[in-house]
Amino acid sequence: MEPLHDLTIKKFHEGLLNKEFSALEVNQTYFRRIKEHDKEIGAYLSLAEESAVAAASAVDVAVAEGENVGALAGVPLAIKDCILIKDLPATCGSKILESYVASYDATVIQKLRGERAVFLGKTNMDEFAMGSSTENSAFHITRNPHDHSRVPGGSSGGSAAAVTAQFAMAALGSDTGGSVRQPAGLCGIVGFKPTYGAVSRSGLTAMASSLDQISPFGKTVDDTAILFKAIAGSDPLDATSADGADYSSITEPAPLDKTKKLTIGLPEEYFIDGLDKAVSDGVQNAIDKLKSLGFNFKKISLPHTKYALSCYYIVMPAEVSSNLARFDGIRYARIANAKAEGEKLSELYLRQRGAGFGAEAKRRIILGAFVLSSGYYDAYYDKAQRTRTLIRQDFDRAFKDVDVILTPVTPTPAFKIGEKTSDPLSMYLADIFTIPASLAGVPAISIPTKPSSALAPGELPIGFQLIGKKWHEADILSIGHYYEKLN
Amino acid sequence: MSSSSNDGNSGIGKKELEHLAQLSRIELDPNEEAKLIKDLGAILDHFKELQALDTANVAPMTGGTDLVNVFRADGEENGGPESTNRGAGVDAFPESKDGYNKVPPVFE
Repeated sequence: MEPLHDLTIKKFHEGLLNKEFSALEVNQTYFRRIKEHDKEIGAYLSLAEESAVAAASAVDVAVAEGENVGALAGVPLAIKDCILIKDLPATCGSKILESYVASYDATVIQKLRGERAVFLGKTNMDEFAMGSSTENSAFHITRNPHDHSRVPGGSSGGSAAAVTAQFAMAALGSDTGGSVRQPAGLCGIVGFKPTYGAVSRSGLTAMASSLDQISPFGKTVDDTAILFKAIAGSDPLDATSADGADYSSITEPAPLDKTKKLTIGLPEEYFIDGLDKAVSDGVQNAIDKLKSLGFNFKKISLPHTKYALSCYYIVMPAEVSSNLARFDGIRYARIANAKAEGEKLSELYLRQRGAGFGAEAKRRIILGAFVLSSGYYDAYYDKAQRTRTLIRQDFDRAFKDVDVILTPVTPTPAFKIGEKTSDPLSMYLADIFTIPASLAGVPAISIPTKPSSALAPGELPIGFQLIGKKWHEADILSIGHYYEKLN
Repeated sequence: MSSSSNDGNSGIGKKELEHLAQLSRIELDPNEEAKLIKDLGAILDHFKELQALDTANVAPMTGGTDLVNVFRADGEENGGPESTNRGAGVDAFPESKDGYNKVPPVFE
């Protein structure tokens, strides 16, 4: 039998029902691994061992009593720190929320509790999900488990590293411009951003509300589909959530002969000169493998791709400057040493926010305030919103011609810790291939070009991205399923 | 703040930055100011590429969804108050006294 920490959700479930192991045993294996090895990685910000042990034991009782339990019962999950779990800290990687404890469950957490999943702890992240390397956390950095001198990507780097280092069977992150797909790509696991609105954002600390999506990480495409099925669906607490598709059989891939009829588009704008050779070779290899399965490819164009980065870095900070206004140093949490006796309210705001936010959060709040300000609104914010329409229309047009679009996930493999921290623009460029799908609101998945076990010593993981039509998660999940079966 | 919007000079000056920081209620030290002026200058420079794009006849995309706003009553049929995390904000408040949330003095 495989080691307990090697199991996928699927295999865990089978083993649990066959009484090969207990849920408690498996969860304790993960805690042991975390305690022994997470000091080298830094995936977690806080652990929830007591509640996890209780939840896992309850699953074992249910199984022993012959109760029907679902695919996620007892599954040890890591949860990004910006997703609220009642009575657990939710710092969002920020000093301003260092002492904040969530007072309610996010909708996705309620749903996962209903499935009897187990929450091991909260994972590290770039402050308020702003970053591409997890170096912007106020508490510590997270290292890439494949090479400790490199970043795991971000902003959900803690969740990605937790799954990669086998400190969790699967995880949740949030993806605004690539914050799940990019770290999945750099860590060699699967990261799956659903259609905007497919998953409720209630209880996800808002960064950019028109873009944020809670998204699963898994060791396999099938595992992310299992998690997605559990968390999807409209929610009265999130007015932008919707039931755009019937996901009741999303965990069962369509038959191969039907899936093969999907035409895959290759956008010329994503296969540019200057793409790292390891990335272009890896993605080409993935294309060749899919061709060998019988898939048809077609060259397409998404002509406004090059404007996506500018568009995103106007729209997102504008929303950030508004969303982060709620962190005023009065509600949620207060920073004790940023307080003066008898200070005025206005001084309190300035001090709490000045001491509480890190450099990237400040940069984006101020940039957002600028692009929204009178006199600049038309040139920046309005212009970016119109550009966003053009980017979305690119996808609408392309999807008349093809069913799915295949691209690289990142322009390079995992970069060195510290390499991009002094130059924010170079960091922003790490997301150029993931941002357009976010702006258009379409689903996209990052899949390793080869399994981690097939990497040569020193070789870094490379991912490829499949982008689908809105509400057509089934297409990209099915193709991903058959791709992984080749391994 | 200057009212010119599209004059090609895309940097943010010290005075303008201080004004934005004040509006954003963020205290900045001089080192942070200098770094921000440099970084924001480079970022705004990058945004200049958008000027080449003709968007005159394009409608702005104002959100992530095509859903339109609808109103409904907060009635029991929608799960009632129990389904809305009512009270969660009060529970999370960092300071309270005699059942009241404690805030710093608002009036001077």
